[in-house]
Amino acid sequence: MTHPTLNGRPVHPAARMYAEECKAGKLSRREFMARATALGVTAAGAYGLIGVRQPAVAQPAIAEGGDMKMQMDVLPIKDPRISDFSQIANAVRGTLEYLVEYNNDGSIRGMLLESWEISEDAKTYTLKVRPNAKWNNGEPFTAADVARNIERWCEAEVPANSMASRMASLVDPDTKMAGEGVIEVVDDMTVKLNLPKPDITIIPGMADYPAAIVHSSYDEALGKDNVGTGPFLIESHEVGVQCTIVRNTEHEWWGTEVYGGPYLDSLQFVDYGTDPAAWLAALESEEVDANYESVGEYIDLLTDLGFVKSEAVTTHTIVIRPNQLAEVDGKKPYEDVRVRKALAMAVDNAVCLELGYSDRGTTANNDHVSPLHPEYADIGPVERDVESALALLEEAGMLDFEHELMSIDDDWRRNTTDAVAAQLRDAGINVKRTILPGSTFWNDWTKYPFSSTNWNGRPLGVQIYALAYRSGEAWNEFGWANAEFDALLDEALAIADADKRREVSAKMQQLVRDEGVTIQPYWRTVYRHTREGVVGAERHISDEIHAYKYGFAA
Amino acid sequence: MGLFILRRIVIMILTALCLTFIVFVLTNLQPNLEKLAKTQGNVRMTDEQVATWLEMNGYTDPMLSRYGQWLGLLPGWTREDAEGNVTGRCISRDVPADVAPERCGVLQGDWGWSTVLRDEVSAIIGTRLGLTGILMFWVMLLMVPMALIMGVLAGMREGSRLDRSLSTVSIASTATPEYVSGVILIAVFASSAVGLKWFKGTATSAMDGITFENFTLPVVTIALYGMGYIARMTRASMTEVMTAQYIRTARLKGVSFPNIVLKHALRNALIAPFTVIMLQIPWLLNGVVIVETLFNYKGFGWTLVQAASNNDIELLLGCSVVAVVVVLVTQLISDVGYIFLNPRIRIS
Repeated sequence: MTHPTLNGRPVHPAARMYAEECKAGKLSRREFMARATALGVTAAGAYGLIGVRQPAVAQPAIAEGGDMKMQMDVLPIKDPRISDFSQIANAVRGTLEYLVEYNNDGSIRGMLLESWEISEDAKTYTLKVRPNAKWNNGEPFTAADVARNIERWCEAEVPANSMASRMASLVDPDTKMAGEGVIEVVDDMTVKLNLPKPDITIIPGMADYPAAIVHSSYDEALGKDNVGTGPFLIESHEVGVQCTIVRNTEHEWWGTEVYGGPYLDSLQFVDYGTDPAAWLAALESEEVDANYESVGEYIDLLTDLGFVKSEAVTTHTIVIRPNQLAEVDGKKPYEDVRVRKALAMAVDNAVCLELGYSDRGTTANNDHVSPLHPEYADIGPVERDVESALALLEEAGMLDFEHELMSIDDDWRRNTTDAVAAQLRDAGINVKRTILPGSTFWNDWTKYPFSSTNWNGRPLGVQIYALAYRSGEAWNEFGWANAEFDALLDEALAIADADKRREVSAKMQQLVRDEGVTIQPYWRTVYRHTREGVVGAERHISDEIHAYKYGFAA
Repeated sequence: MGLFILRRIVIMILTALCLTFIVFVLTNLQPNLEKLAKTQGNVRMTDEQVATWLEMNGYTDPMLSRYGQWLGLLPGWTREDAEGNVTGRCISRDVPADVAPERCGVLQGDWGWSTVLRDEVSAIIGTRLGLTGILMFWVMLLMVPMALIMGVLAGMREGSRLDRSLSTVSIASTATPEYVSGVILIAVFASSAVGLKWFKGTATSAMDGITFENFTLPVVTIALYGMGYIARMTRASMTEVMTAQYIRTARLKGVSFPNIVLKHALRNALIAPFTVIMLQIPWLLNGVVIVETLFNYKGFGWTLVQAASNNDIELLLGCSVVAVVVVLVTQLISDVGYIFLNPRIRIS
């Protein structure tokens, strides 16, 4: 029997505690997997803790070689830490790898880190570097590289660096850089993080898509030609057209002996715009082997056409939110909590799910913490209450105000936003709908006074809060600043035990609802379709494309 | 003749200057520049950061001076940041400040940098125009002979059953815009809805290599629309010629009807359609916007849409110049061609 932890050290006590909870039914298996593996337990070891044999993955043999094509938006390459779309990261993921990798069973496994260990007080992290990893220019990958990248993430001064908020507990608030002595290179293979305060989100944060590891020579202007550690090279990259990654035959990739792969000779991402009908046409005319995602009515359509469906239950969601700082005609209409609450109260979330997403998910309660998140607190459902909503608007003197509700022009985001607009109109609130094409929508997405945005799921509920709801964060599109919430969040981020964290989470969830921060109607189940014979290209829980797993059936 | 062509070229340059200047002014309006700063820098920049960004990237020079820089008449802007790094219009990663030329504009062969597609404007327009050129070539190859045959057949016996049925077809095809005929063609010939699936409903793979399957539908969609129009013109011209005195004389002499049509009527009847066909070329350049979007074929039309919707100044200017050149060159060809077709016309 192999050892239950990645580094052969004893199992973290919290992991054992989680296992008890899981066995007692207090914790779903998925949540357990996410939490135990984040503490350095192997996937097999985690299954062992709850007395279950790791399910054998029935995967057909994968043929060596092959050229695959996939429909995906091709966006300009940015410095990973400021990347704002999964697609940007997916284009470079074959070259620039990550320290850890989040997988569909909710587990986190080591990539450029072989293992990690978290002290009981969640303040000391010991990271062990993958021994055989090399840069594709021949240099070995060492602890210095890990430390340098974590330092880069901590540079909070860099505009739009969203990694700084994931690494917030390492950042010195005065210098806006990594704190003195926080990142410690112990030897060539070991990095130690000495956190000033406990933080449980560091490892999940390293799995997020802006956390790609770059070489010391990294230069954003070099774009696709940067040095990386991965098994692929980006051969060509044309924004809006296509991106081709080819297997790097000169480079000996560490992962071949650890996880297997890569199988493909090349993988091409082809941009078909934002119209799902075009994605269907691409699959149907055999121009691509897989799409990036299947949405709305196209899910059944593609299944009926004989394409293979893969699905992932996620904490992906959409927020239809007012921006509290936005000015309309010189006023800030959404500064008033009554207006925001009224908007949320006038909407039935179940209707949004049905009309906007064909009931392919579960309803949510405007607080952006899902039952899939370990710290989820059930504080009861939100109800539609038109009368109180109108009363609130009247009190605020905003009954006649015309709300301009913006969305991108696509399928489900537009439909959901339409469903919100229709319900607001039914309630007697004036709404003007503005639908912007995908090419212009994102230019100003955080600034729109009232608009919808899709949000990808994260393993922990507090991660989303730290990323988008904390005052002044780069992605806080709500314009919400609340000292009480920030204090609660700091408290929650230090509690490793999910049960204890749940108490704080309940307060935060209630606060987000009471403040009417957003309408957040449902959680999405997401889908992808591939042609028969495509292997390993299942839909990923957080939209990652692990090209080294992709291939064709032998 | 030489003088005539020379004069046309001068007009072409003047038109290009006027058009690019208008485009330049419109894309350089302050709100557009602020939008550009936010897409290029980052969406959450404050107003001061936007101002700094515009200053550091040369957008605060007077409008005329920047237009001059684009043309290459004036030296490109240079800025020095706090750390002493010099940036500038003509300075890039490959061309450091100490070797950079003073001027870099259209006159020096530098068409600038596309902010949205992240590439040299000349490279983008070259590739994309080439792709549209291929599309247009096949459209012309299908459209022109078909339209002429339809027109001549319809016009040789005005009012006959053949004339009526061909006219109906050509009017119907001209009256159907591309976005309607395209969708119908895809539904019938490419989707599983009808189940024929003879062709492909997208032309993306045609950018790498044309096949009968992936290129038929876009070509047919554009050709159908233009075909009816040219056929109508040819028919009108043909019926007029067929009533001329010399045709009657030929018939009285006993020349066979096919010989009359092919040897006597055809050449004269083709003068008017020739102009129409040449006018179709600039029209095609615009018409492809819809079809390229519909079939996801990334040619000139797609580039124009990307440039316009993202306020990509230098790419839009490049597109404008291409448009002017295409329109005026085809007109020039049509004028010169006219002289050869119709000896009565002289250019003084």
